Amino acid sequence: MIKNPSHPKKSVRKVKQCKFTKAGLEYIDYKDVETLQRFTNDQGKILPRRVTGTSAKHQRQLTRAVKRARFLSLMPYVAENLR
Amino acid sequence: MSKNYYELTYIINPVLEEDQFGAVIEKINKLITDNGGEIEEVDDWGLRKFAYEIDKKQSGYYVNMYFEAPAETINKVERTMRIDDEIMRYLTLKYDAKMLRHRELVKKNAVPDIFAVEEEQED
Repeated sequence: MIKNPSHPKKSVRKVKQCKFTKAGLEYIDYKDVETLQRFTNDQGKILPRRVTGTSAKHQRQLTRAVKRARFLSLMPYVAENLR
Repeated sequence: MSKNYYELTYIINPVLEEDQFGAVIEKINKLITDNGGEIEEVDDWGLRKFAYEIDKKQSGYYVNMYFEAPAETINKVERTMRIDDEIMRYLTLKYDAKMLRHRELVKKNAVPDIFAVEEEQED
């Protein structure tokens, strides 16, 4: 057993927190493309909750916002280099 | 007749002449006011590059607007926009209580910034 608490194998699990809940945001705007891009990967896919730590409620809102932004061509469905 | 608060974003075909964009915006505004709507704000984003090609075009003229109108108006406006060749895409959203509160924040320029919170966390 590893006794040393700072041992690399005994890494402290990072507590993930929903950024939207923390900021107290009630509605995720599809026009705020910069924010939305932080929650998509370079292919333009929406990142899963287990990666970003977003709450279920905000993940649903985020998904809707990204899809609206895609419809208006503010965000890509598929990244340019992969098409 | 009860009114709802709506947000409408549409994309005008970029091949039009500069002064024709104004005419299209004017036409849509008139259509809304003639059908019992009250326009609150028209935000003209201007020409903007698309994230992907639409109808073989790389950019479009975006117009984002907010207005209050009875529900029947939306039907008429959307039908006109669908038929109109100059309008490439449109998206109408009806605002609920949460979105209205968010809208108030936007007007006051007091939208909570999620990046600021994040940087704090990294310290």
